[in-house]
Amino acid sequence: MDEKIISKQNLVNFCKDIVANGHNLLAPGKTEYNLIQDPSEIVLDTKSKPTKASYKTFVFPKAEPILYYKRGKNDVVMLDAKVDEKKTVIFGAKPCDTNSFNILNKIFNWDYKDDFYNERVKNFIVIGLMCEYSDRYCFCTSVGSSPVSEKGSDLFLVPIDENNYAVRIVTDKGKEFIGAYSKYFTEGAPEKSKAAEEKVKQPEVAFDSKQVHEWLGKNFEHPKWDGVGDLCLSCAQCAFVCPVCHCFDLVDEDYSYTEGRRMKNWDGCQFGHFTLHASGHNPRDIQGKRYRQRINHKFKYYVDKFDEILCTGCGRCSRGCAVSIDIKEIVANCTD
Amino acid sequence: MSDKNWEPKIVAFVCNWCTYTGADLAGTSRLKYPTNVKLIRVMCSGGIDPVFILKAFERGADGILVSGCHPNDCHYNAGNFHARRRWTFFDELLEYLGVEKGRLQFSWVSASEGKKFVDVVSKVVNDVKEMGPFKSYDELNSEFMTKFPDMPEIDKNMIIKEEEAV
Amino acid sequence: MEELKKLAKELLENKTVAAVIGYQQVDDKRTKPIIVTTPEDASKLVFNEYCLNNLAVYLTKARIKNLAKQNGTTLKLGIVAKPCDIHAIVALIQESQLKREDVYIIGMNCHGVVKDYGMDFSGETLATKCTPCDSHKPLYSDSNLGEVKDTPKVSDEVLEKIQAVEKMSHKERFEYFKKEFDKCIKCYACRAACPLCYCQRCITDKTVPRWVESSPHSRGNFSWNVVRAFHLSGRCIGCGECERACPMDIPLSLLNRRMTETAKQAFAYVSGRSLDTPTLVGSYDVKDSDELFM
Ligand code: SF4
Ligand code: SF4
Ligand code: SF4
Ligand code: SF4
Repeated sequence: MDEKIISKQNLVNFCKDIVANGHNLLAPGKTEYNLIQDPSEIVLDTKSKPTKASYKTFVFPKAEPILYYKRGKNDVVMLDAKVDEKKTVIFGAKPCDTNSFNILNKIFNWDYKDDFYNERVKNFIVIGLMCEYSDRYCFCTSVGSSPVSEKGSDLFLVPIDENNYAVRIVTDKGKEFIGAYSKYFTEGAPEKSKAAEEKVKQPEVAFDSKQVHEWLGKNFEHPKWDGVGDLCLSCAQCAFVCPVCHCFDLVDEDYSYTEGRRMKNWDGCQFGHFTLHASGHNPRDIQGKRYRQRINHKFKYYVDKFDEILCTGCGRCSRGCAVSIDIKEIVANCTD
Repeated sequence: MSDKNWEPKIVAFVCNWCTYTGADLAGTSRLKYPTNVKLIRVMCSGGIDPVFILKAFERGADGILVSGCHPNDCHYNAGNFHARRRWTFFDELLEYLGVEKGRLQFSWVSASEGKKFVDVVSKVVNDVKEMGPFKSYDELNSEFMTKFPDMPEIDKNMIIKEEEAV
Repeated sequence: MEELKKLAKELLENKTVAAVIGYQQVDDKRTKPIIVTTPEDASKLVFNEYCLNNLAVYLTKARIKNLAKQNGTTLKLGIVAKPCDIHAIVALIQESQLKREDVYIIGMNCHGVVKDYGMDFSGETLATKCTPCDSHKPLYSDSNLGEVKDTPKVSDEVLEKIQAVEKMSHKERFEYFKKEFDKCIKCYACRAACPLCYCQRCITDKTVPRWVESSPHSRGNFSWNVVRAFHLSGRCIGCGECERACPMDIPLSLLNRRMTETAKQAFAYVSGRSLDTPTLVGSYDVKDSDELFM
């Protein structure tokens, strides 16, 4: 793996060029990842708290049209929506965010290949940043990642001293991308970035995902689910801020009497009506069953199907939960 | 406004027993009132849900009138009293959010007040004309509209007209 | 604190209550809700400046209500409540969602809570809902516990922001709110956390006809946020749970508080303060102002 060095000043220049070249540039803010106009505003901070919302909305938008329609008396015409092909560079993403595409790729390329998602991911450059944050909700190390993991990044930044970052070139896509900006990079010194990495305090491993997987297989019925369910408020905060939750709802929206569009909007399995059938029957009628689904989907079903845990350990869902339901604690208690 | 020919779209939600009958009277008395107004008859002013207003704005209304029986004259005794409280909140809320006061107006018009109906409607139309098209709400729509791509044409004669659609 | 644990234990032992909904410590600057059903667990209950939740939200949940039904009789539900939480309980009783005799209110004297977990309690970190609060002693309670302390005096941030918004032109205001609402992802955490959003089926979940578009785009978000604010006008008791729950940091209290001011000014009404009056929007007065109507 190739490694380069870039100075702080050149990093800003690099970003300025990205914007000047007409690419979208995203960087983490407090609430969400923001579209950056002026790169000198970007603060790269390895100690910053993860944004409240992940950046999945840029590849899997919270609402997007998938087709347009127009109806006549005996006729309907339809037109597929197209994806904006602008290149998007995400800058300073945490490892618990960057890992999300690896996980989402599986579901969006399973029996059906989701063009909307794939097109966007194709045009996405992920520049990850080593993380030195870690609070009680973080558990990336329990799901096979770590604060210094390059998984999912095309380029990965590690601060090596006051003024310089090491830039790991992780993928060919990343390599190709910085080719055009090579004037900003100098030759790397891998031993320095290794040393910087080793100093990072890693969150403690909270559970063994294999054991959890096994326990879930045996405890579909368990009083614990109702225990959590009775406290959970059935919103979708946890699913919507999650970098890898991917359920959606299709709705037709009229624009006039004859024209309209079909929307694909985020949906969340914790909503009571998520599984409500037209007949009125609801297989997941109480919150305990829904919460069980959330955990099982993430730590059992997805693993069975794709050999990947549907969770990056970012802890967002817990940090934002109005009633402090902590997924890490719950999963860690999935043992006998 | 810049466009001299621009005519505002006004929707009036009126109650069956007073204002609608008042409007009827205006018609039978051959009083003239602006034709920009689309009347929507509901049973009682107390039954006009604010989401009707939002929907009308979404669909391009530039101004809205809500009208019912005078206090104490409600066919259902108290519908308009309940409505009065609710509209006080809704009116303040919309104004606070940046919808100019005249976009949404309220009146009491009885079955015998054909003349008043004409005055009220004329006032709403004039006020809204002065304010111009409701651009702010249009902005909410704009994302919807500008992204609406060029569609292959359907034979014009085949398109269902608004009036025919049920 | 000991008195709270003791009381809860007694109530559970002598079967006055079927459960106590209260707070449990997570770490030194963090608590979370707990539903205590056995006398042994009563020792887990705590009360301090980190008890942010308005637990009244649980009182309308079917499974919690069912807890009270035991062996053919209905016991009470105990709830640890700050004075502002009690306003929510009062509003629920006014709105017939609850009977007074069905709850046992353990009213806590309160001098404010922090904005967010992990902060040290001080004037600066005082939750914005606490600055205008005028009821540090519980209004209705079956037992009144906790020490009486002064609330730090700080300026009323939310009101100041409202005044700033009102100074803007209509166009600026619309743009300001559009920008805020655009962030909304329709997770409905605001609705879920609100003790007064108890509708079995919210208007936004109704699809035929669909009055409020479910898509979280500009238009759908505007409608949703207007509807939410409107449905809580004159009802909101100002616990600020919606804003705290919102992951997108949308200043929802700017809306709720503004409507609360309208209720005060136009109808001299403050929600959730009296069991002897009907709700504001559920009643009327022939003498209400007629100014709005031509
Ligand atoms: S766990 Fe928390 S965020 Fe998720 S649905 Fe329940 S209350 Fe909402
Ligand atoms: S489930 Fe929670 S911790 Fe896991 S990836 Fe999603 S938001 Fe992060
Ligand atoms: S927003 Fe309105 S309809 Fe929806 S739950 Fe709240 S009060 Fe009920
Ligand atoms: S909590 Fe915030 S983001 Fe979620 S629906 Fe409410 S306003 Fe929107």
